[in-house]
Formats: sequence, C-alpha cells, structure tokens
Amino acid sequence: MSEIKSKYSKHPLRKWFITQSLDFPLRTILISLIATIFLGSGIRFFIIDDDMMKILPKNLDSRISWDVIQEEFGSTEVIFIAFGKQGESIFNPDAFAALWDVEEQLEASNKVEEITSISTATRMDNLDGFMEIDDLQPYRDMRADEVNDVKLYLEKNPTIKKRFVSEDNEYFMITVQPYSSEGLNYFRDEVVSIVDPILSNYEIYYGGQAYVTGTMPAMIRDDVIILARIGIFIMAMVLLLNLRSLPGVAMVIMVIALSLFAMVGSMGWIYHLTGSERFLFTLANTSMPIILLTIANSDGVHVISKFFKELRLKKDKRLAIASTMDSLLIPIFLTSITTIAAFATLTLSPLEPLFGYGVVIGIGIAWAWFLSSLLLPSVINLKHWNHKSSAITKPSIFEKIINRFGKVVLTHPKYVFSAGAFFVLIGLTGLSKVIVDVNMTNFFRPGTEIRDTMDFMDNNMTGTVDIRVRIEGDIKDPKTLSSMRTLQDSMEKDPKVITSFSIANVVEQMHRTVMDDDPQFETVPVERDKVNNLFTMYSMSGDPDDFSSLVDYEYKVGLITAFSKVMTTQEIFAYVNKMTNQVKAVMDPALNIDFTGMIVILRDLVIMVVRSSALSIIFSLIIIGIIASIFFKRILWGILAVIPLSSAVIINFGFMGYFGIELSHITALLSSVIIGVGVDFAIHYISQYRRLSKTIGTNKLSRSVVDDVGYPIILDAGSNMGFGALLFSAFVPIQYIGGLMVFAMVSTSIGTLTVLAALAELLKSRLVKRDESL
Amino acid sequence: MKIFWKLVFSTTIIFSQTGIEIARMFDAKKTPQDMSNVANMILTNSKGKSRVNKMVSRSIDGNKKQIIWFLEPKDDKGVAFLKIEHENKDDEMRMWLPAFNKVRRISSKKKGDSFMGSDLSYEDLSNRDIDDHTYNRIDDEIIDEKSCYVLEVIPNSKVRSSYSKHITWIDKESLMIIKEQSFDRRGALKKKKKFSHSELNGYFVMNSVFVEDVQKNHKTEVSFDELRVDTGISPNLFQEKNLKRLPRN
Repeated sequence: MSEIKSKYSKHPLRKWFITQSLDFPLRTILISLIATIFLGSGIRFFIIDDDMMKILPKNLDSRISWDVIQEEFGSTEVIFIAFGKQGESIFNPDAFAALWDVEEQLEASNKVEEITSISTATRMDNLDGFMEIDDLQPYRDMRADEVNDVKLYLEKNPTIKKRFVSEDNEYFMITVQPYSSEGLNYFRDEVVSIVDPILSNYEIYYGGQAYVTGTMPAMIRDDVIILARIGIFIMAMVLLLNLRSLPGVAMVIMVIALSLFAMVGSMGWIYHLTGSERFLFTLANTSMPIILLTIANSDGVHVISKFFKELRLKKDKRLAIASTMDSLLIPIFLTSITTIAAFATLTLSPLEPLFGYGVVIGIGIAWAWFLSSLLLPSVINLKHWNHKSSAITKPSIFEKIINRFGKVVLTHPKYVFSAGAFFVLIGLTGLSKVIVDVNMTNFFRPGTEIRDTMDFMDNNMTGTVDIRVRIEGDIKDPKTLSSMRTLQDSMEKDPKVITSFSIANVVEQMHRTVMDDDPQFETVPVERDKVNNLFTMYSMSGDPDDFSSLVDYEYKVGLITAFSKVMTTQEIFAYVNKMTNQVKAVMDPALNIDFTGMIVILRDLVIMVVRSSALSIIFSLIIIGIIASIFFKRILWGILAVIPLSSAVIINFGFMGYFGIELSHITALLSSVIIGVGVDFAIHYISQYRRLSKTIGTNKLSRSVVDDVGYPIILDAGSNMGFGALLFSAFVPIQYIGGLMVFAMVSTSIGTLTVLAALAELLKSRLVKRDESL
Repeated sequence: MKIFWKLVFSTTIIFSQTGIEIARMFDAKKTPQDMSNVANMILTNSKGKSRVNKMVSRSIDGNKKQIIWFLEPKDDKGVAFLKIEHENKDDEMRMWLPAFNKVRRISSKKKGDSFMGSDLSYEDLSNRDIDDHTYNRIDDEIIDEKSCYVLEVIPNSKVRSSYSKHITWIDKESLMIIKEQSFDRRGALKKKKKFSHSELNGYFVMNSVFVEDVQKNHKTEVSFDELRVDTGISPNLFQEKNLKRLPRN
C-alpha cells in the first residue's frame, strides 16, 4: 500500500484527491451523492418562463415605457383568436351566437381581464337626432337583418372593422387580455380550453405574444426532455462503440446525469433565493442541458479512456487510477475553469437570460469537474475490471484512426496550417453576410401548428406585432388629438402596418355622430370646448371603461396602438427610425412621447444580440488567453490556445452568413459554447505537450502528443456529437445551434490537432527551449 | 295595561309584515314635492385616480323629472342634462352641448348604463316600481345602531334589469335605505351602496351616497349640499330651453 501511495502524485493537492478515491471510495461516493442530491433538490423551485419582455434589461428605455404602459393600460400581451370557415361569410347568426358564448365563458374566467370583440364593442349612432351608444351585439341570438345591420355599421367604420373581422369577412377576431403578464402559460391553457370546445365547428387560429409566451413553457419542457434523451442515447452509442465497456459507459452517463441534476437544481435554488428573472428557464436555455451533457461527458471520457490505457500498461487498477488522475486532474480542472470562464462572459450580456445561463452552466461544469475528479475514480476503484477484456487490451477504432491521422499532420505541418488558414479566410468573407433576426415566428418551421396559426394571423387579420405610442400631455387638446391622427396616418403608410387606433379616432366618430352622422365631420373638432362636450356626452351613456385602453382616467396620457405583420430586421430598423423622426416632426415638443411596443422591443433585442455576441467573443478569448498564459506560464501558449478557437468562431459565423442562419438571442450564445467547449481540446493538447517535452526529444514530441491526446480529443469530439441531438429540437434556432456545434466540434478538435499541432511543431524550438528553462 | 297591549299588537303587526308590505310602506313614505341641491361627486378608479364633478340639481315628483347643470370640472361647465321618466315608454334624456350650441337626445334603452361615468346607473337612479319586483323579507339586522328590515328584491322576469337581485337594508325608523348590495345577472356581487340621511322640514332626505363597483374596483362618492325641499319648483322648468342657462336660485 505504501508503495502505491508514494506513487500517487508528487503534488500534495493531487495526492489528496487521489487518496480520497483510492483509500476512502465509499465515503467519497456518499458525500458526492449527498451534496448532489442537496443541490439538485432545488429542482422544485425551477421555473420555465419564456416571456420576451424578461429578456430585456429593466433599465432599457423601451422596456421602461412598456412597463409603464402595462401599468396604465393593463397588459399589452394579449391572445388573438380568429375563427371562421374558409369560403363562408362570418356574418351569420350562428357565428354571432358562438362569439357571444365564447365571450361569456371567457368573461367568467378570473384569468381574463378584458375581451375585445364585436360582442363587447359599442356602436355610436345618430338615430333621428338621438345620440345612441349601444352594444354592437346586444344579445346572443341575432336575427339575419340585425347581423346585416352590424355588417353595414362595420363597413361604415373600417377602422373598427379591421380590429374585429378579417378583410374577406370570413373570420371574427377576439382579443383576450390577461389580468397579469405572469403565468401566461396558465392563461393560454385556460383560454384554449374554453374556446376550443365552443368553436369546434370552426377553424380556430390563435396568435399574439401572450399565446406564444404561454405556449412556450410546455414546448420547452417537452423539447428539453426529448433532446436530453436523444443526446444521452447518441453519447452512449458513441462511447459504447469506442470504450467497448458497458460499465465504463455507465459511469460516464452517471457523471452526466448527476451534473445535469445538480445544474437544474442550482437554477431552482438561485431563483428561489434571489427571485431574479435571470434564472428563469427560457427558450435560450433549451440548449443548456445538452451543452452540459457534452461537457460532463468530455470529463468522464478523458478519465475512463486514460484509465483503460494506463491499466493496459500497468496491469494494476490502483496504479492505473493514480496515474490517470495524476495526469488528468490538472487538465480537467483547467478545461473546466476555461469553459466556466468562457460561459461566465455571458454574464456581461445585456440579455437577461444569458446572465443566468452563464452562471448556472458554470455551476454545472464545476459540478461535473467535482464528480469526475472524486466520484468517478472512486466508482472505478470499487469496480472489478477484467484485465483481459478487449476494451483494455486492444486499441479502439478511433485510436487506430488517430495513429494514421497523426502521421499526415506531422509530416506536412505547413500544408495543414495553410488549409486551416484557407477555411478561416472563407469564414471571414461570410461574416458580413450574417443576418440578425429575433422574430419568434421564425423560430418555428412552416407547417408546424404554432407557425401556421401565427402566419394566418399575420396574413388574414391585423398582424400580431404591436406598436405603441404613449403620449403624455393634455389629451383633450385638439392639437394633441390632431397630431395623434397625423402620426397614425404616417404609421399606416407602411404596407405592413394594417391598422392603428387611439382616442382621436373615437373623438372623430363622436363628432360625426353629434353632427347628424355627416361624414364631413369625422374629424377632430378645432375647439377644445367641443372636445370636452363630446366626452361629457359620451359619459352620459357610455361605459367609463370604454376608453380605458386608449386614454388614462385623467386624460393626461393617451395611447396609440397599431398592429403590423411580421417585419424583417432591416424593415424594423427603417420603420422605427422613420417613426421616431415622424414623432419629432408632427408632435408638439411639449408632449412627452414614448415609442414602444413589440416592434421597438425587437429592434432593441437585435442591437443587444449583436452586442452580446461581440462581448462574449472578445472577453472569452481574452480571459481564456490569460488563464492559459498563467497556467502554462507563457503568453505564447495563451495565444496558441485561442488560435484554434478564434478560427472556429470565424468559420462558424462565416458559415452562418453563407447559409443564411440568423443570429438571434438564442444563437447568440453559440460563440461562448464554441469557445467554452472547444478550448478543452487545446488545453489537453498543451498540457500533454508540456508534460512530454520534459521526457521526449523535440523530434518525436509532437507525434507523441498527438498519439497521447489525439485519441481522447477525437473521442471527446465524437461523443460531443450529442450536440447533434439539438437538431431534433422543435425550435429552429436550437436546431441551428445543434448543427453548428457539431460542425464546431469537428473544426475545433481538428483545428487543435492540425492548426495547433502544426503551429507547435513550427514553434517547437521556441516552445520547448523556453519551457525547459522554466 | 293599554300600553302593554299596544306594544304586543304593534310587535305582532311588525313581525307579521311581509316583504311586499315593507316595500309598500317604503314607497308610501312622505316625500318632498320638489328638491334642490348641489351635488359633489367624486369618482375614484381602481388605480386610485379621481375625478370630481360638481352640479346643481332640481327635481320634482320624487326625481321623476330632473334637470342638472354642470359646474365642475371646468371642461364640463355649461353642459346640462334633462331627464323625464315615463311609465309606459322610454325615458326622455336630453343634453345641452354649449360648444356645439345643440341639444342632443341620449338613448335611454340601456338602464344599466353608467350615469356620468359613475358607479350609479340610470337604473340605480330611477324609482323602483313595486309591481316590477318580488320582495322577500329576510332576518332583520342592526346596522350602525339602526334596526333595519332586510329585503331581498328580485326584478321580475319581464323587467329589463341589469341586476339579478338586491339585498336592501331599510331603517325601520326613517324608512330610508341605508345599505344595499346589488348582484349582476350572473348572480355575482356587483355593487355595494351606502346611504346616509338627514331630517329636513319633516322629511328624511339623502345627504350622501357611496357606491363601490366591486367587480371594477371603482368607487363613487356623492354628497348633497345646499339641500332644499318644497321650494315650489315649477314643472315648466323641466323643458329643453331651460337647459341653456343656470337658475339664479
């Protein structure tokens, strides 16, 4: 025993770690499991919530304006419901009765704040000198002539009609406003469960931010479960093929599963303790389990494959474990630190969920390191290994491939480096082609139910992207009202903006009604007294809540609401700029104007996605370069460590540009993932290079390093094909992440074994000489 | 002994009174011929924002004819409103809009409509016809140290009402309503009302009312100042032409 102990490690800390696994395996396993269970128990506080508004920082102008509007006018995140039958007019008594029933049932729900539809709208008529304000649909069972009367009224008032009926008169639209923007998944489920049975004879389409946000948690949950299963299956298959040992694979999977449990639990704990929305599980986090899966796998794979190699050589389990851990504890620690550092740069992102992403995956990675360094060798120690099994005695297919691969790289380093540089150049030319798009419609493939229903709303109804202009000032002032109308006209000039409405429209309608329904008077009166009289008259028979979504109680804040079809990023930028200028041109400077709504949010999100990606790339490369320089005690090693990563990032974004893959708040974390995961290969390579340089001559050094770490690197990259599981996601950007990560794993691993190996070979005289002197 | 038997007799009568009998007593109580006041109405919405209205009112026939001139807010000054209730046809409601120099008639089809954006609907302001409702007496209660009859008032099915029922507390001494809860057509509590009264020239007259729409969390508080009764208001006052100018007294 004392003989073995003396061989554990020269370093006291490494010796301590190895001692825990070799001398106290049961205690180590027990403590590891208890700690994991405690951390994982936070899963009960884990919440899935994908509200786009929560992505933006709270101090952002458009978010502040948005929050103010929600406070003053109620939630602007609504569900749109369109129903009807293609080819049939919706103006029939049955459809009106169905609309009435839907309204009645929704009204009874305590999750519904307000419903806007024909059945809740009022009409203003001048009948024989009577100013009459009445319900547009006064009762459920309307006669055919009454239905026709409603149709005529709507045709006379196209602004109102656009909000309630499709242009082809085939579908009704209902807008349902929730009491609160919290728990939109419950609100969505309740609305759908009420509406679907009542409208079973009709085609039903849902849309709006509240519907999408409410639908996402269940979709995300299902997606994560499916992806985790597929990811683990892929990894298990790759591991089994190469390790050829069921217990070996099971041990790696155990590390993965426990790390995953600890990570999800830690997210729950942090949310529970801080209450911060940054720690809600959003669509952006969907890739997180798969990414941790691959990172945890990578740690486990290195330990198991090195252990098999050592067992083959030393023929003694304890010696093999000691030797394995002595050589891997530092690289695994270093790869974990650098990966955590790369993900930690996400905390600099202005996008809120990416902050949580960076912190939580850091915890997951640290836990994977903890388990791989203590639990895994302890479990290996407890297992009886058959020294004669082919897994231990014979090299695997990957090992054989690496042997051949190593020869090519090391005999032609300049060609290999040039080929790598050529790919980087191609990538560079593609960078300018990268498109930024954050619109959620594009997150779903055409043909899926949610995408089709969103497309229907866009094409047949008013569109679902809202634009809000909050005007603070004297809203009863005719100048204010007139400028609101002018601004609305400008807003509607864009063909994608279908309709807009404000209190100014109501004033025009009241004016016309009072003036004996003369269309010439459908204007804002010039005199303030007339505006006052119109409001007073309305209050004598209208409901005080009729204007609650248009103007505040004291007539000091008005709201223009417009709806648009989905715009491209370029269109959004052009539109917001144009409207911002228009506001300056037509509105009184004394008025306080805020331009917001989903369209402005999307504009700001685009800016933040670009900023987030740039920050993440720059800082993660700098931090990793610094960490590598410190650990390997040379700046040159730091530079060499980031070269393959920089190349991989350039190639990745270049390919995104060439293949039209959009950069979004979901794909924005790609650079961190690529750098964080890809850096492992370089760290392993450099560690081994430095280690072997002390015992092997420079002529055979690179070859020996590739022989030694090439196999685990390729095996690591191969098992990281678990990223491919993301290709099965229901969300398009997650699929892109999957595809790009598979590609990035290939490019970073091969980049390490080619570009880094070739550079190390070219610079070996400087690298080895200097290292020897240290 | 006589006093004892009187007490026993009257107690028996009171205990034996049915809901409809109490309603009739309420309806038959002595009311002024006409009434004038200056009303201050404060409306408060769910967010705590308030609007204040001040108006001069004259009415006769137990409010069946009423004319109101708006004094405040400044935006409403000069606007006036005339209401004449009819037994067998829709009520007449006219409004003077000084900025337009026009009198406009307002629809009175929907009695559930809010009056001036308040929590009082036209139905709340109108007199309840005894024959249009069913009155069920429930257990008496003491409210604010006043012994009250408690009635469940249900509109008959033929009546166009925005309520399914009311629970009404009537002060036994003054026969004035001091509290009422009104339920919407689905049976859910809609409004809570509280009334206070004072005695003037031998009549009990309302001097304040507080209404809360519990569903909308909106409140209305009306106080009546400069209350005068039986001043001899002429029925001729209740004409369209009189909307255009404020009365001198």
